[in-house]
Amino acid sequence: MTPLLRAEEISLRFGGLQALDRVSFDLYEGEVHSLVGHNGAGKTTFIRVLSGVYAPQEGRLLLRVGQELREVRFASPRDAQRHGIETIHQNLALADNLDAVANVFLGRERARRFSLDEEAMEAEARKVLERVGARLPSLRVPVHRLSGGQRQAVAIARALLFRARVLIMDEPTAALGPGETARVKALIRSLREEGLGIILISHDLHDVFNLSDRITVMKGGRVVGTVRARESSQEEVLGMILAGERKG
Amino acid sequence: MRKGWFGFLALLVLAGGAWAQQRPLVVGVSWANFQEERWRRDETAIKEQLARMGAQYVSTDAQSSAEKQLNDIDSLIARGVDALIILAWDKDAILPAVQKARAAGIPVVAYDRLIADPYAFYISFDNVEVGRQQAQAVYRVRPRGNYVFILGSPTDPNADLLHQGQLEVLQPAINRGEIRVVGKQYTEGWRPEIAQRNMEQILAANRNQVDAVVASNDGTAGGVIAALAAVGLAGKVPVSGQDGDWPALNRVARGLQTVSVWKDAKELGRRAAEIAVLLARGTRPDQIPGVQKFRVPGDPRGTVVNAVLLKPIPITRDNLHIVLEAGWITKEALCQGVSGPQAPAACR
Amino acid sequence: MEAMRPLNQASRQEIGLHSQNLFLLLVLGVLWGVFHLLTLGQPGQFLSPQNLWNLSVQTAVVAILVGGMVLVIVARQIDLSVGSLLGFTGMAMALLQAVPPIGEGWPWPLALLVGLALGTGAGLLQGYLIAYLGAPSFIVTMAGLLVFRNAAYLIAEGRTIGPLQDGFLVLGGGLQGSIGPFWSWVVTLLALAYTLGAVWRGRWLRQRHGLPVRPLWLDGLLSLFLAGLFGGFLWVMNSFPHPVTGQGRGIPVPVLVALGVLIFLHWLSQRTRFGRYVYAIGGNPEAALLAGIPVRRIQVLVFGLMGLLSGLAGAVQAARLAFVPTGMGTLLELYVIAAAVVGGTSLAGGSGTILGAALGALIMSSLQNGLVLLGVPTEWQNLILGVVLVAAAVWNARFHRRRS
Repeated sequence: MTPLLRAEEISLRFGGLQALDRVSFDLYEGEVHSLVGHNGAGKTTFIRVLSGVYAPQEGRLLLRVGQELREVRFASPRDAQRHGIETIHQNLALADNLDAVANVFLGRERARRFSLDEEAMEAEARKVLERVGARLPSLRVPVHRLSGGQRQAVAIARALLFRARVLIMDEPTAALGPGETARVKALIRSLREEGLGIILISHDLHDVFNLSDRITVMKGGRVVGTVRARESSQEEVLGMILAGERKG
Repeated sequence: MRKGWFGFLALLVLAGGAWAQQRPLVVGVSWANFQEERWRRDETAIKEQLARMGAQYVSTDAQSSAEKQLNDIDSLIARGVDALIILAWDKDAILPAVQKARAAGIPVVAYDRLIADPYAFYISFDNVEVGRQQAQAVYRVRPRGNYVFILGSPTDPNADLLHQGQLEVLQPAINRGEIRVVGKQYTEGWRPEIAQRNMEQILAANRNQVDAVVASNDGTAGGVIAALAAVGLAGKVPVSGQDGDWPALNRVARGLQTVSVWKDAKELGRRAAEIAVLLARGTRPDQIPGVQKFRVPGDPRGTVVNAVLLKPIPITRDNLHIVLEAGWITKEALCQGVSGPQAPAACR
Repeated sequence: MEAMRPLNQASRQEIGLHSQNLFLLLVLGVLWGVFHLLTLGQPGQFLSPQNLWNLSVQTAVVAILVGGMVLVIVARQIDLSVGSLLGFTGMAMALLQAVPPIGEGWPWPLALLVGLALGTGAGLLQGYLIAYLGAPSFIVTMAGLLVFRNAAYLIAEGRTIGPLQDGFLVLGGGLQGSIGPFWSWVVTLLALAYTLGAVWRGRWLRQRHGLPVRPLWLDGLLSLFLAGLFGGFLWVMNSFPHPVTGQGRGIPVPVLVALGVLIFLHWLSQRTRFGRYVYAIGGNPEAALLAGIPVRRIQVLVFGLMGLLSGLAGAVQAARLAFVPTGMGTLLELYVIAAAVVGGTSLAGGSGTILGAALGALIMSSLQNGLVLLGVPTEWQNLILGVVLVAAAVWNARFHRRRS
């Protein structure tokens, strides 16, 4: 079966620092593939390459078009979005002074001639937010007034608004309480059922094992190894994170 | 043998004296800021007079900052000027600079704006006389009624000198009840926009019952007249001014402004340069031609300075030829928009 | 039914009642009331047609500028060159239209266009230096302040330039500068129709999409309020008689220009992508970048817009004075920024409305107008203005969000 997305030997250097060193990775439809590792292991940098923020210096990215893989080069984050890759960054990248509707549509507003079509956007935003199970007091307050979980919901809604094939989530539950965490995990599962490919970064190994199909460990900009969640254990993965190599 | 030494020494002294004589005098001018129209004319006149007397000109521009002016004067002193002409931005903040010049033995001429230090030689047009002439011209047209004073900048000592002269002329009529002062406002920075707004408000406060306006310069007069025009009173209410700026003289020709008290800046610059060079050459202040003693108004210490006060000329529609003949303004600029039997003599 | 939902905090936000702006309106009302009471004893009162007419014209120049400044500040920038640019463009327009030998004698519409082009060009240049070369806006626009002030002096060779052409003077208000009672009716009715149309159409659109709407009684009240506001404005403008014709003067042209600018900027900031992006950049520049917003291009345009408005304000100010002194517009940028701050714009960026800033400009202008009307001495005027400014800034700080 052809994967949705494949990264081959991606390398990236920032001045003297080798941020990514021949990283290879792939993602299938209906799969949750997690990335784990220490801070500075290169996880965030890698997903920034996938989401079009950075261009790799070596290696290539391939996306599935029809039944085959085709090489792509992203000129910008918008470019990646147009290819169906949506990213929810760790800091959510929300404009705090704008309301939920504006944030959901940020950069991709609907307009009639020169004017924004506020009513249509609000109606669509409402639908998407319901779909992700968000419970907001109002769609029209600036999002800095919402709770962490509600802001997370807005970010997820933005990612799901347009037809995403790949959803990348960087520490989606880090700042959430237990109730909200459970809701996000349930959402991830249901999106997986719908056929999205999901790349998850998390430092909570328990959650990772709970949700993922595969787990890739990174350290020092390199891929240490990739395991199937069902065939591995938290201890083994922890060992890989610490030792920087696969045992056995 | 002794005669030889003596001769040699005498030669040295003569040579030194001759060398000192040949080094031209340098006069430093510290300007307050170059924003007002007139200072360029002053500068040209100063430069010409200095050249005529064989002296050199250096200058600085304080750009409306008292602190910068202190630094400017320091640098002029350091450059070794033989005399200073100072147009003070702030009459109080400038005093330390005058003291420094005194300590360095450099004579100081206070140009147009008074410096309350007996060491500074004050040259100006008699600003009190300017005020008198402004008030007189308006009073002649309208000896009774509601008067408005649009004064100059609250931080400019000249503004109060002008007002002093205006009141000298008008106070008796005010006391007799023939003149009622219905509005009085200073104008920050002498800015015409502010004068216009203030005049609009005074008109509104008095339901346009205003009979005369004593404005302290042409810029503010222009603002006043714009406000009067908006309620149909331009040309019906006498307005005074000073400086002889071109739009103002044109307004005088058109009958919108009654008087612009003219101070020939060339004359002021010329005399100031002359005095600076004389002082630098060692002339005693009380021997400068035309000198008089001037008591600083409102000064608790009763400071008296040496001063030369030039007489200004009030320009009304009857004597516009003066500014034409002096080459101050061209006839086209003066007489623009003026036509018909009402035109003043100078424009026919 | 959605229409009967109670007005708790969240839904108040949702239905667009900006408490901050309401408060400003209240302050304005109180200020006007107090001044009127204090002036009852003199021939000309605060709420007389003449004074309100004066007030509207006196506010026009700052009102033209303040909307542009709001966008600049929202985008986390500042523009200190506004007053100097106003002076420079005003001087250029004066020199171009003044009769030779004073000026070039061009027809005034051409001079006006050149002035606007100069302002826009200067703004775009500053914007480019700030957005693409990365120089801080404070420094670049401060340099602009010095450069344009001196440029105004240089091109005029230190002279005051005037008189200006009669057609041009229409822009400044004054005897020829109002549109007369008939056209004032036309403009006001059109504006009212458009505004009421927007309110009710907005309601209909929301209902069509199944979104919650304001209670009917509230929309009705709002409509009545707007009708009263527009009607009152029209009545005041038509009540100030023209000394020659005896008829009412109507709306002054500079006020029309200012209102037109404010309405356009309000639409731009609330209903277009450009406006949305300005606010996004102010709220979170990184988020804006990630969302694919062309941040640098938007910033250049914001400064270009400010430059255009400076040129327009320069024309209005020059026409109002009927001549141009070299110092015209000095220190004006501070008043404009203050008006924006009084109107609720946060200097940290990301928040501020055109409507609020317009109210801020009106509040400051009303203060100056009223104080001089009362004959308060000059020194006291600035003191009072300063105190009010600080009070407004402190009060508005309460409304500003905590930065997360």
